[in-house]
Amino acid sequence: MFDYIVIGAGIVGSTIARELSRYQVKVKVLDKENDVANVQTLANSAIIHSGHNPDPDSLKAKLCVWGNKLYEKMEEELSIPLLKSGAYVVAHNKTEEEKLAELYETAKINKVPEFYYLDSQEAKKQEPNISKNVTKVLSLPTTKVTYPWEVAFACMENAIMNGVSLQKNALVTKIIPNNEYFEIEVNGKQIFKTKNIINAAGVACDDIAGMVEKEVPYKVHGRKGEYFVLDKRVKGFVNHVLYPLPSDKGKGVLITPQFHGNILIGPTSEYVDDKFNVSTSFEGLDYVKTHAKELAENIPFNDIIRSFAGIRSSIESGDFYIEESKEFKGFYHVAGIDSPGLTSAPAIALYLLKEVIKIDKKQKINKDFNPIIRKQREFHSLSKEKQIELLKEDARYGNIICKCEKITEKEVIDAINGELGSDTIKGIKKRIRVGAGLCQGGYCEEKVMRLISREKNISPLDVKYDDKASKLFVGETKVNKL
Amino acid sequence: MREIVVIGGGASGLAVALETKKRGRDVLLIEREEDLGGILNQCIHNGFGLEVFEEEYTGPEYANKYIEEFLKLDIDYHLNTTVLKIEKTNNYFEITMSSKARGIEKIKAKAVVISTGSYERSRGSIIMPGERPYGVITAGSAQRYLNIDGYMVGKRVFILGSGDIGLIMARRMFLEGAKVLGVAEIMPYSNGLTRNIVQCLDDFDIPLYLSHTVTDVKSGESNRLESIVIQKVDENFNPIENTAKVFEVDTLLLSIGLIPDIALLDNLEVVVDSLTKSAKINQAYETSVRGLFICGNSLQVHDLVDNVTLESIRAGKCVSDYLEKKLEKNNESIDIIPGKNVGYVTPQVLDFSWSPKELIISFRGKKKMEKTKIKVFQNNELVFEKFKQFIVPAEMETIKLDYSKLNKFDELGISLEEL
Amino acid sequence: MGKKTFTCIVCPRGCRVTIDDNMNVTGNKCLRGEKYARTEMTNPTRILTTTVKTTFKNMPRVSVKTEEPIPKELIMQAMEEINKVTIKEQKKIGDIVIENILDTGINVILTKPLIRNEVKNEEVHLSN
Repeated sequence: MFDYIVIGAGIVGSTIARELSRYQVKVKVLDKENDVANVQTLANSAIIHSGHNPDPDSLKAKLCVWGNKLYEKMEEELSIPLLKSGAYVVAHNKTEEEKLAELYETAKINKVPEFYYLDSQEAKKQEPNISKNVTKVLSLPTTKVTYPWEVAFACMENAIMNGVSLQKNALVTKIIPNNEYFEIEVNGKQIFKTKNIINAAGVACDDIAGMVEKEVPYKVHGRKGEYFVLDKRVKGFVNHVLYPLPSDKGKGVLITPQFHGNILIGPTSEYVDDKFNVSTSFEGLDYVKTHAKELAENIPFNDIIRSFAGIRSSIESGDFYIEESKEFKGFYHVAGIDSPGLTSAPAIALYLLKEVIKIDKKQKINKDFNPIIRKQREFHSLSKEKQIELLKEDARYGNIICKCEKITEKEVIDAINGELGSDTIKGIKKRIRVGAGLCQGGYCEEKVMRLISREKNISPLDVKYDDKASKLFVGETKVNKL
Repeated sequence: MREIVVIGGGASGLAVALETKKRGRDVLLIEREEDLGGILNQCIHNGFGLEVFEEEYTGPEYANKYIEEFLKLDIDYHLNTTVLKIEKTNNYFEITMSSKARGIEKIKAKAVVISTGSYERSRGSIIMPGERPYGVITAGSAQRYLNIDGYMVGKRVFILGSGDIGLIMARRMFLEGAKVLGVAEIMPYSNGLTRNIVQCLDDFDIPLYLSHTVTDVKSGESNRLESIVIQKVDENFNPIENTAKVFEVDTLLLSIGLIPDIALLDNLEVVVDSLTKSAKINQAYETSVRGLFICGNSLQVHDLVDNVTLESIRAGKCVSDYLEKKLEKNNESIDIIPGKNVGYVTPQVLDFSWSPKELIISFRGKKKMEKTKIKVFQNNELVFEKFKQFIVPAEMETIKLDYSKLNKFDELGISLEEL
Repeated sequence: MGKKTFTCIVCPRGCRVTIDDNMNVTGNKCLRGEKYARTEMTNPTRILTTTVKTTFKNMPRVSVKTEEPIPKELIMQAMEEINKVTIKEQKKIGDIVIENILDTGINVILTKPLIRNEVKNEEVHLSN
């Protein structure tokens, strides 16, 4: 019998799992995917917003500003990448300046710790490539940029260190509420018993809730966002996140500098029928290009290395829905987590535990909880002395596998064999950026494939790209008949 | 201190190392893979060497000719060694390299030659709508898996882009038992050599869809490619309605172009040409950084390896001249500019302080042309003219100019005119 | 019947050659084009390049070719023959893998030296 089962190992499920591990409770996390952070957490703007945008009095406003603060602590404890870029919201004319003033007021009410105006001259001095038509800027120094999946990995890894168990490839197929506990059926066969369920299933939140509730208090509407990534050689094109003024469609198309120097441009915002469909379109990518040009001059679109789409799990109310089921005590909804969900995630976890579950009244503190993960930074960002020291310990640091991102054989092996290791090409890319550079894996995929094969002692024919069936190869020449 | 460090041991690097060694220079070649020969090792088809050897060889045979000579001359080299960084001080270069055998080390050199080849454009560099399943792979990666490792990446294959690698792979996949359903090319003409259309597609009844591109990609249950949609495009490359064709395939090979790999130039103050996507050079293959030379596919993407070899031999001679102080600069130089119908030109700068007998200029036409005159102007005056029956963007053109006819002040323009 | 035009595939130049009923060839830039056009009319042939299996860990496949062009219609049959072969010992470039394939009188030869080299990773090659 578990005390808590968390459904969903995205950024929200991972931060909740970590917070739960501070108590003496038995926790399991289930995810239908074969990896942590595989859906919404993998494809979004990656921004830690300051909290200037959500309606005052909303849960979003409270948790966004709170969450933003918590990231600095997570950086310290979990060694997550955090680019403290700050952000500019830009106005192009008097009408927009009026809207900018509204945002200024919102920022004040929401208690954003720091925000101020810049005139166009000062903004251009700070950001030489900002659009010539910009007339005024609202500067938000607390805005930061991260890699969401790395945050999820770090939280989940820390949770596992502190006693949580994670089961991947675990699709919840049925939930049976009993008086004292729930039974969760996984993949149509395995049954887990638990006293409490936390539904952090992202886009599938309403599907999961529907297994328990007679009437689900929300419906998830997939809202698709399409993006471009520019190569890291454009590093410094902008140094702040550039926002247009928000509209009813959300925050609009943004230009975001990333931790490793790439620039992310997007997203679109479009409701879609199929909430699992993350395809891109000519129209969407055109929309991104057109609107990005309102923010900056001479955007180096020639340096695009990738385009992708993600789905936000929006609900009608427009706010987060974090509540216990009225009918089924012990079933907790964490739904409607669209933007600023990444920013809010650590605060969502605390709010859920402290204010909704009121966990301190129910559970004892886990005195052995260790909040620290000392993750070693990329080998090639370390000091010369440190590199030499590590090379003496392990010569495999000398073998470069990914030339574009300068990732070594030892780092690939650690990503395969680590606590939250992966044995797929995509899983390794998510962990250490192998293949995330200019050639997009053209050069290194074969080398990573060989290392997975060697470390896991499987045939190259069984190495997978991401999940069960998508193996890299369909057979061997001259051996297998096609 | 080394005299010359050559980075990359493919066709280009081998030729530079051989030429400089024969001229008595001290040279070290650095190769990141475990074999010399570069991409030729996986190009097992024939068609190499007609220009240089007047014989037709396969890629590995062609490479082997140079590797044997390289080993015979006892030229120094490192395998399995990746260059991380090149830095320039006043008088020399400092090269940081990394390997499992020796860790991270620094060496100094008086001259550096970049012969790092090119990389393939991937799905990300073009706008291809649709989902992101596994099975959309660059043709060169699939070629390596197939020819070197012996693995098939798919059973039912479609190819986007009619570049030579795509055509060659259509035949290879077919011969190894895959169904190859077609090749789509967005341009109204093929980007590969005509002989490859004949012997790779026509011989096996593989259809070529000109003026077509992929407009949707769908994934199946297991996140493997399940089908693609191609559509005819208009003259602005916009898809035309009601022309969609669906192909059920598990693999889409991309043969959509090569880009010079100049990542190592990132920390150096090298002037880059947006047309070649590589460093600008003078006629001695020297970049804007003194003593830094570049040739082969890292300078400009070639269609024939023979031209890579010939170019790299010339570059090797120039590097040797540089070390013998025959390449001093006196600031007398002019720009060479691509004019009408010309896609790019190398060299981009003509430096009068160093004058070999002939000036060799390489360029590509922007479009397919018939009965064409290649014209070179200086200050509106025609200084060179040559008739050419066919010009196609897929084939690099080379002309030789006489220095004595040129003035030292006005830029040189090259254009193509249809008669 | 009249004339027939092909693209000559002997070399990458790709000449457009025309042959008439009397086997007169025009459009070719060299003698090989003339020979190609005549063969293409009567008995089209191609050089086949592919790989064969080996027992070598460092080179599980090695590249081969037919020493001369073989009849086009035999290509798939030749593939089947070549696919049956597994090379077990070191060989030099040009060594014969299959003699007289499908009674064409033409050999299949190696286009790459096949050398066992299990410790490649540690190689250093400095003379001084």
